[in-house]
Amino acid sequence: MTSMNDSIDPVARPARFGLFGRCLRTSMTGRVGFGLVMFVVIVAIFGPLLTPYAPKDQSAMYAVGANARPSADHWLGTDRLGYDILTQLLYGARTALVVGLGAVLISGCAGILIGGIAGYRGGWTDEVLMRFAEFFLVVPIFIIILAVVRVLSKAVTGTAFETMPYFNLTVIILMIGLFGWAPIARMTRGEFLRIKTLEFVQAARCGGQSGRQIVLSEILPNAFPSIVVLIALEIGGAILAEAMISFLGFGDPNAVSWGQMLYFNYQSLKIWPMASLAPGFMIFITVLGFNLLADGLSDAANPRARRR
Amino acid sequence: METGRYILRRLIYAAIMMLCTSAVIFFLINSLGNPVELMLAETPGVSQETVDLISAQYGLDKPLIQRYFIWIGDLLRLDFGTSITYNLPVGGMIWSWGLHSMQIQIPAIILSVAVAICAGTWAARRQHSRQDFTVMGTVLLGQSMPAFFLGIILIYIFSFVLGWFPSYGAISTRRLLWGSALFDGLWHMVLPVAMISMFNIATLTLLVRTNMIDTLRQDFIRTARASGLKEGEIIRRHALRMVMLPVITYVGLLLGLMLGTSPVTETVFTWPGLGALYVMAIQQLDYPLIMGISIVIAVMLILMTTLTDILYALIDPRVRLE
Amino acid sequence: MNASAQIERSDVISTDDVILAIEGLNVSLPAGMDRDHAVRDISVELRRGEILCVIGESGSGKSVMSNAVMGLLPPQLKPVAGRIVFDGRDLLTEPPEALRDLRGRAISMIFQDPLSALNPLMTVGDQIAGVMRAHGVGTAQTRRARALELVREVGLPDPELMLLQYPFRLSGGQRQRVMIAMALALEPQILIADEPTTALDVTTQAQILELIRDIQRRKGMSVMFVTHDFGVVSEIADRVLVMEKGHLVEAGTVQKVLTRPEHPYTQRLVAAVPRMRGDTREGMQGTPVVLKVENLRKVYRSGGGFLSKERRVVAVDDVSFELRKGRTLGVVGESGSGKSSLGKLLMKLIDCDGGRIILNGADVAAMPEAAFRPYRKTIQMVFQDPFASLNPRHTIGRILTAGPVTYGETPGVARAAARRYLDMVGLSASAFDRYPHEFSGGQRQRIGIARALMFDPQVIVADEAISALDVSIQAQILKLFADVQAETKVGLVFITHDLRVASQICDEVLVMHKGRVVESGPPAQIFLSPGDDYTRRLVAAIPGAEITLSHDGSPQP
Repeated sequence: MTSMNDSIDPVARPARFGLFGRCLRTSMTGRVGFGLVMFVVIVAIFGPLLTPYAPKDQSAMYAVGANARPSADHWLGTDRLGYDILTQLLYGARTALVVGLGAVLISGCAGILIGGIAGYRGGWTDEVLMRFAEFFLVVPIFIIILAVVRVLSKAVTGTAFETMPYFNLTVIILMIGLFGWAPIARMTRGEFLRIKTLEFVQAARCGGQSGRQIVLSEILPNAFPSIVVLIALEIGGAILAEAMISFLGFGDPNAVSWGQMLYFNYQSLKIWPMASLAPGFMIFITVLGFNLLADGLSDAANPRARRR
Repeated sequence: METGRYILRRLIYAAIMMLCTSAVIFFLINSLGNPVELMLAETPGVSQETVDLISAQYGLDKPLIQRYFIWIGDLLRLDFGTSITYNLPVGGMIWSWGLHSMQIQIPAIILSVAVAICAGTWAARRQHSRQDFTVMGTVLLGQSMPAFFLGIILIYIFSFVLGWFPSYGAISTRRLLWGSALFDGLWHMVLPVAMISMFNIATLTLLVRTNMIDTLRQDFIRTARASGLKEGEIIRRHALRMVMLPVITYVGLLLGLMLGTSPVTETVFTWPGLGALYVMAIQQLDYPLIMGISIVIAVMLILMTTLTDILYALIDPRVRLE
Repeated sequence: MNASAQIERSDVISTDDVILAIEGLNVSLPAGMDRDHAVRDISVELRRGEILCVIGESGSGKSVMSNAVMGLLPPQLKPVAGRIVFDGRDLLTEPPEALRDLRGRAISMIFQDPLSALNPLMTVGDQIAGVMRAHGVGTAQTRRARALELVREVGLPDPELMLLQYPFRLSGGQRQRVMIAMALALEPQILIADEPTTALDVTTQAQILELIRDIQRRKGMSVMFVTHDFGVVSEIADRVLVMEKGHLVEAGTVQKVLTRPEHPYTQRLVAAVPRMRGDTREGMQGTPVVLKVENLRKVYRSGGGFLSKERRVVAVDDVSFELRKGRTLGVVGESGSGKSSLGKLLMKLIDCDGGRIILNGADVAAMPEAAFRPYRKTIQMVFQDPFASLNPRHTIGRILTAGPVTYGETPGVARAAARRYLDMVGLSASAFDRYPHEFSGGQRQRIGIARALMFDPQVIVADEAISALDVSIQAQILKLFADVQAETKVGLVFITHDLRVASQICDEVLVMHKGRVVESGPPAQIFLSPGDDYTRRLVAAIPGAEITLSHDGSPQP
């Protein structure tokens, strides 16, 4: 109604306790998502204190055997290789979070930097950088990452890298990060382009502020809500990507990962479904947590879109 | 005229993209080490001379740049080389395994689009209602459900517990369902198609719903209402056309990626498709096969996004001007 | 004041003449808004063959009323009482299908923004024919023939070709003509026009008003015309309703309401209408020149990449002027005239392609940003959109002090200055720690002015600084500009599309058209005896010349 919308803000208002505060206060999905993410974080931090077994402890093989049903010693039973399922799940949370945060740290920094430069500078810089980003958007990323991870794990045999702990996991994180920046760059650029033309940015220029000041104090804070939503989504996506790589058997043999648990136990699904369903469920709730959090953040960032 | 120029520009752009992608694939995979050396690394008693000899046989002694252009030249003549593990021409293998992939991917995409347009529109017209909330909840769960986890659940319930559908393969090895290869094939397709569709339905429903809500709020819909158009007509003639624009883009991406996402699906269901072949090729470090499959998947993706862009421009006259 | 009673007293009419009667209409607002009714107890009669204008500021409920007639209220707005009688039927209780059939056939509507009101993916012909199709009228051929006839009737060029065009290729005026063609397709008895000319340039507005008036006379249609502009009212209305905050405060013939408004709100509103002034402002002659512009030029280039032709648009072409201390220079023109580009050039927000900008005795036109920095303090800007011109994440204090602090002012001194200027623009010092969203549009514009003043500038460029505001707020902000100028002796470059506003505040006016200055001089000369053809057309197109030309600011017929 024309008579009702006399105050449409081009950018969201500042929230009293920041974006997260508003997300938690106003959005059901945001609260549930935050709860799930916190659950995984707590498991990752304190999980190892809750189990007497080391992650690579196969001693259960002698005590109760493989694919054992739940018992007082092994609450969720053991898997095909004689690992304690609960222990593996707890340690898997660490791997998942490290992958998610590590990959997004790379893609987020690269994306914001490249997108920000493209959006702020415009012109030829923008053209070139965005063509570059577009290229990363139409490359079959997953296929390439699979090949590189495998080839690299083979190629380092006999070199100094071979002894590096978690080398494969590092490669996976790097690859997911390096191939994941394009969506963030595109979003950042779009927001920069939009906000750059708003009058308060021009006012800042008229007020003699330097380009750096304008980007850091005028544009970036107003672009951040949209970027944060995408980052939350990408954390979930990175965790899922690692799970898929591990599920196909190209994960890091030294790391405990939910995807790898599936890879090892999938063949005996019929015999002992817990060993496959439990790690699958963990991946599910972790990804769900980040997706719901993103949904809630998105509502908090654009409160009007929701209400109308 | 304007449209023609737009299409030409898109095609040239696609060609450049393909060239870049091929370079990335080639150099990323080949610069990491000599394939023969890597393959024979675990075989005991192989001397350096033998490695050099085999390398020369595959032309691997030439500089990387030169090998890239030889490879591109071969690709342009549709010569993908010979698989090391299977000793078959890679082109033929990609074709026959690829057909198997499409057998589950294309029905899944068609199903997803049909379901998503109905569900998304239905939910959009009941925004904030209980039905809408239910649809949205399902969508959010569906989007977060990892495909392979869903596949495993489907197999566990429908194959192992209920025994309704087979858990692996594209065709029964012993006895065909109802003695018909067609029915047997369809029977095997049910679970993989369901698994692929689920995620796509969730994403597409969300896309349709968001865009439908957005479109229904626009002024030209109000104009249509003020002109006395029936609600169904407004949805079909005015709103859906607008909503189809992002849907087309997404479906183009799905069609382009359908071979690229198949490794996981086909591993879960032991489906003899291109994705499963790719996983095997990587395990075996079968270089010609790895590069052949990845370039086909990449080219397919670029072709599909280009076609989508062109189709988009044909529907939306504003794009052609750019 | 009881408006419905007043109608009965002043105009006794037979019920036959009434085509649409709104009786005691109440539309409720959802909980949590600043009032609980969008419109309250409204009674209106629309007579056969008349143009009834509904005027009010934003939030007055005028659009809610017109949408209620069409049955197009959004679901959260519910009519809770009253009747809308058309053709012996109460539209509020009619089944949806019957209402749908009436829409477009018996009652049509046109809207404010003709671009978004047309489907971007459908041709003009399909959209016009679609109205007939929806009501099952004719065959594909007859519908096309009728569409062609309509396109001719509303005066669109190349009718055959026009049917195949997409809306985005048409100008604003052409789009509104297409909307009118759609509305007329089935010869309705009533046309509801919701601010149909607000988004248009003044010359285009004049043409569309003439078209509506012309068609209304020929077809004997009844028109309900919703607007916020008294100028438009005086051009087109037979009778006027004045709405304020959901209430009907006054009704009567256009003559009566414009010349002898009774309700205090109407009186204030009529008094706030910007009027053309032909007099020259007193004083401040012969002060020093603070800004001098010579042969300024700006060309926009686009495209020119791979496989596409380069497009060049000359936005500012050979513009020269002088601005003296304490004086106001008006830059008027329609959209696309280059007036906003000129403002940005002066601020060096965009680079110029030639000419000189002499500020403080130095030519800053070609200066790189670093060299220009010291000069920035002397020239400041006030922006158009009160909602976009303040960073929503910063407090007012930070917004005001950021500039001076960048220039090396100590925070303490800057804060004191900020409080002083807040006071000067009529805001309390408590505004300092609050955020922009806590202020109304008019208050935000005051903050924007305070921000410009923080530097103690010699020149302020105001780019459409009041055009986003309601007319009564406009008057306040205009007065504020005058007060500020009297106190600080700042030179003002006042960019506006509204000639009436320019005539009130300016000492000299530049009329721009397609990037060039077509005429310049004191307002009296420009508006009373324009020398240039374009200026003459522009002045002639100002709506409501008869009510808005005055020398002393009081309403005169």
